[in-house]
Amino acid sequence: MSLTRRGGLIRPGAALACLALCACVHTGPAAPPTSPPKPETGRFHFVDVAAGAGITRVTWAGRPGKDHLLDSAGTGAAFLDYDRDGRLDIYVVNGWRLEAPDGPAPEKTRVIERGRNALYRGMADGTFRDVTDAAGVAGEGLWGSGVAVADYDADGWPDLLVTGLGPNVLYRNKGNGTFENVAPRLGIEAPGWNTGAAFLDAEGDGDLDLYVASYIVVTMDEVLSARPTLDWKGLEKVAFGPFGLTGAPDHYFRSEGGRRFVDATAEAGLLDKGRAFGFAARAADFDDDGDLDLYVANDSDPNYLYRNEGDGTFKEVGVWSGCALDANGAAQASMGVAVGDATGDGVLDLVTTNFSEDFSTFYRGLGGGSFEDASEETGVGPATFQPMSWGTAFADFDNDGDLDLVVANGHIYPQIDRHPEVLGTFRQRTLLLENRAGRFVDVTAQAGPGFQELESSRGLAVGDYDNDGDVDILITHLDAPPSLLRNESRGEGSWLEVACEVPGGTAIPTGATVTVTAGGRTQRRDIASGDSYMSSHDPRPHFGLGDASAAQTIDVRWPDGSHTVRHDEAARRLVTIRKGS
Amino acid sequence: MKSAHVRRIAAGAVLAAGVLVLGTLEVRAQAGGMPAGTPPAMVKTYESLADAILAVKTTEANLVRAILGAGYAHAQGELDRARKAIKASDTKGAQAALEALASAVGQLGTEGDNAVGAVRKRLLEGGHHHNAAGEAKGIYDEGFVVVTRVAKQAFLDSSKAIGLLARAPKGDALENEWKKVEATWASMMKGGA
Repeated sequence: MSLTRRGGLIRPGAALACLALCACVHTGPAAPPTSPPKPETGRFHFVDVAAGAGITRVTWAGRPGKDHLLDSAGTGAAFLDYDRDGRLDIYVVNGWRLEAPDGPAPEKTRVIERGRNALYRGMADGTFRDVTDAAGVAGEGLWGSGVAVADYDADGWPDLLVTGLGPNVLYRNKGNGTFENVAPRLGIEAPGWNTGAAFLDAEGDGDLDLYVASYIVVTMDEVLSARPTLDWKGLEKVAFGPFGLTGAPDHYFRSEGGRRFVDATAEAGLLDKGRAFGFAARAADFDDDGDLDLYVANDSDPNYLYRNEGDGTFKEVGVWSGCALDANGAAQASMGVAVGDATGDGVLDLVTTNFSEDFSTFYRGLGGGSFEDASEETGVGPATFQPMSWGTAFADFDNDGDLDLVVANGHIYPQIDRHPEVLGTFRQRTLLLENRAGRFVDVTAQAGPGFQELESSRGLAVGDYDNDGDVDILITHLDAPPSLLRNESRGEGSWLEVACEVPGGTAIPTGATVTVTAGGRTQRRDIASGDSYMSSHDPRPHFGLGDASAAQTIDVRWPDGSHTVRHDEAARRLVTIRKGS
Repeated sequence: MKSAHVRRIAAGAVLAAGVLVLGTLEVRAQAGGMPAGTPPAMVKTYESLADAILAVKTTEANLVRAILGAGYAHAQGELDRARKAIKASDTKGAQAALEALASAVGQLGTEGDNAVGAVRKRLLEGGHHHNAAGEAKGIYDEGFVVVTRVAKQAFLDSSKAIGLLARAPKGDALENEWKKVEATWASMMKGGA
């Protein structure tokens, strides 16, 4: 989240222009966003139904001028089924609303509102009801950042980990519609500015351990007294950092039966030696050896790939495995991450989202945990070069049997609106890239009105909230209510969704892999807790099946390594597979 | 240890300069007024400080070369281990050695591991660019002291190639890749890459 080395060095000078513009630097965006192009017709069609569905709470993001990086980092969101009624619910993390002081320093910023997180319960009619107060999950007054959903204590009910500036909050789901914050009791508060988190069973002992990425060392006082002091292209003063700020170390907590957690960062080989500016964490079995590895997207620093050595310890192998840097050997300003087998070869690929004037990077999985930067040839690079990108996900939005890519965008400096000719606007469209035989084609303009909205977007989660067989998209924005993009695409492809259940055990078998063979194609999905940009997706894997009317096999590899296999399952439905059945 | 030594040298230099400046101010006070030009004692102090600054920069280059030298030596050790394991058809041993070699070569490309990267980041944050002119010309990445962009790319490519070799260790492929590493190393240390 910075003026990167590749994104252009800070140009000194232009003093006159700066002086002329500084007077209004706190007033926020001056230029109205440009009108979106008229949507064209295509196979994709998404409509923002958030307002009508009751998703209305604004997610606040500091001051209008975004004087500190925390102001512009935004928040994550999650799809989950907290009440286990078969309908997805939504959780949205919130920041604070600030008012910049009129006078010079040391006059302090005023806190207008401590934004409250929101839990929306999915109703049978496709709307949502705000149940935050009843559930007791408003966020403890914290300036929130991210959310990861997992059943950390394996009691059959999904819990919520919320990160932000301050102590982590772990809302334990009591199973009666209410939650309690157990983070202090469990020893995972780790105060700081924590961001993306991921639960994973690193040791294979059945307990979910927790990795929490951290961004910079900062206090609320520093946030409140921040002023835009960084020169942006000689045109504006913008929020300072992250260069010049101190990176905060990430944390790893090993679970001891879900009853308490122990800080095992060093012991597990997960010391953040680079003190990198961490934003996103995603666990997956990248080398297909049966245990969960961990990928951490860092802003302006090399990304980490921690390979699980099979005993709960990790080795950082990002550089030589080819997914720490881009093809030019440069560290990028990585914000979000998407993981999936986008090339259909059975190997997980990775996408990291990055700063503006730098492409999002498509790391093609080569097998065995090795990657190569294929951004150019897949088209992901050219399509994502201009915007500043955050939340992202692979999903088969048109049910044709391959994974498309969605990327939420929005700049961090509202001041750029005064110079739209330089690099566009603060508010940007979310991009939809259609997978056409391994080449990702920008179909945003043809993807319906939902994709024509201009916002400064951040968190993104995908899930089939209306259980109609296609994947919908939840996106958070700065200083606006979230968007819920309902998928109304006209694709004729069939589909399958798989709910994995462990009778008497965890509500979400985090780390399970589901492989579906249908129509001569084998597809793979994994169930992760913590993904995208500080967000969590629908835990029920979705498969587009194209012309296939049935799946020949559905193979669930459970976190303990055992398998459940089903044969000849009809398509166009949600299949529930129970461990041991 | 070396890092602490350099820090001590720098701190000592600054302390000495400070003492000299104070001494100069005392001289000026005794003279009873501000001289027309810069007082010679101050110039002398500044010269001493310049010597210290330049010496620290040289020390930085030497230290980074030492870090890289240690890394290269480590890589050679892993290379030997890999060769022996391949010769003995010890696939598991060869894989481990090749991964360690890949990591070591990668760290040559990134001019040290993540911990060194953190120090480099700190220096950049403080406005210190060892090769500012070289960076402007695109020869060096920001903050890099010895490893040029060309060398960095070559090391990273070799690192990835060796990493891939770990999946199916082959002696001849390893030798070919190591020749590239050697050539890049030699050229870089001569100041050519």
